[in-house]
Amino acid sequence: MADKGNDPAAIWQTMIGEMEKGFNSFANQAMASPEFSKAMNQVGGVTAGAQKQLGELMEKYLLAMNLPSRAQMVGMSERLQSIEGQLNEIKAMLHQVHHNSLATDGSAGAPRPPRTRRPPSEGEQK
Amino acid sequence: MNAPAGLDLASIAERIQSEVQRAIQRSIKGVEYFASSGPSLGSTPKDILAVRGTMNLYHYRPMADEIYRVPILIVMATTNRGYILDLVPGQSFIEFLLKRGYDVYMLDWTAPKPEEKSLRMEDYVLDFIPDCIRRVQQDSGEKDVSIIGYCFGGVLSLLYASIFNDGPMKNLICFTTPIDFREMKLFSNFSDRRYFDVDRLVDSVGNVPPEMILSSFEMLRPASRAASQVQLWENIWNDEYVKAYRMMDRWGTDTLPLAGEYFRTITKDLMWDNKLYNDTMSVGGRAANIADIKVPILHAVAEHDHIVPYDAAKHLIPKVGSTDKEEIMLKGGHVSLVAGANAIKRLWPKLDSWLGKRST
Repeated sequence: MADKGNDPAAIWQTMIGEMEKGFNSFANQAMASPEFSKAMNQVGGVTAGAQKQLGELMEKYLLAMNLPSRAQMVGMSERLQSIEGQLNEIKAMLHQVHHNSLATDGSAGAPRPPRTRRPPSEGEQK
Repeated sequence: MNAPAGLDLASIAERIQSEVQRAIQRSIKGVEYFASSGPSLGSTPKDILAVRGTMNLYHYRPMADEIYRVPILIVMATTNRGYILDLVPGQSFIEFLLKRGYDVYMLDWTAPKPEEKSLRMEDYVLDFIPDCIRRVQQDSGEKDVSIIGYCFGGVLSLLYASIFNDGPMKNLICFTTPIDFREMKLFSNFSDRRYFDVDRLVDSVGNVPPEMILSSFEMLRPASRAASQVQLWENIWNDEYVKAYRMMDRWGTDTLPLAGEYFRTITKDLMWDNKLYNDTMSVGGRAANIADIKVPILHAVAEHDHIVPYDAAKHLIPKVGSTDKEEIMLKGGHVSLVAGANAIKRLWPKLDSWLGKRST
């Protein structure tokens, strides 16, 4: 085999690794400055503000078009979620009842293993 | 005539042949990569015990004939999905625990819905976790429960343990859990209170979108995504590499949104006022001082963690009130500490030997 110093694939991989490290380190230094935080949050703030205004505008538009607004859809989703939640509660209760009845019957199904395990002695541990 | 030193003609020919074969394989496998989906993740058999909004409680079916008395509840980080701990058979932390005789439950999260934007820290610490503990006690028939918290799941577990310090927690294990948020320097700078208007953000968007969370994670290592794609192309002939890449890539990009009010508290109390480190944290009016934690505790940290640097995590063990406490630092990064080939050799056996003798 060619040694690593002459292997073009190994040289390429090392170069990629070094470039990654170098760029990350450079970017981290730049991002640690207050100026970066200020610029980043200005852009983020403008985007969030624009998103809010667009949302309000869309709501008016949907109302004019006689279409359900996001708030109405969210309301419906809340009701669905509440129904879903109640179904899950019923499911969990059924699961519990089933679990309890198995425990009372002593009949199989999927019996749980006994909780009697002890840790292996020091010598046995790998 | 002799070949120049270091240039063995036979080995050059061998190398060229190998590279040609790999190039052919790359073309074939490259097409396969785009035409197929990744491996199926999180497939260890489990039952869903409870679903309540963003909260999901699973019970994994035991795999050993005899299990430890004390069940484990894993509390996942609220930004990510729990399947990182249950990748594929042979590389699943959950499967490892089950085979070693633990009874395992997981508190996992789904994306909070728009109407859940008002979920607060109190909902997570004083409602979801205690509710899951109650359900684990009921399901297992055991009073004691051990908790494992990963990353911010560790922070939630610490808050819970500080407030409910009279039980029923038996043991606490934290993986890469930050305490001193000033030391998460880039996150701290991104959320600098002079420039970051968290109220405006939360009031505008409700829940914090996953794209924003993902990009703030990716900004910590901005070149790494491009470099990992170059490495993927280099290694696309290697099925094992591609499988590992797909698992980690899918999980890494599968970020969850954060409930708006909860994010507001994280920013103000933890990022700005560093209350957990300063012993001034409270949740729902109840003091959460980690010095009040008295249960046995293990904290596993990663040597090369770029998300939670050691300086942000190192105060946990000195500050807790437990007498039985230990910190272990292992090679690896924030994710490779808990998942993947190295975790199998390093963290998992260590955790088993620590927890086994405290689970009877």
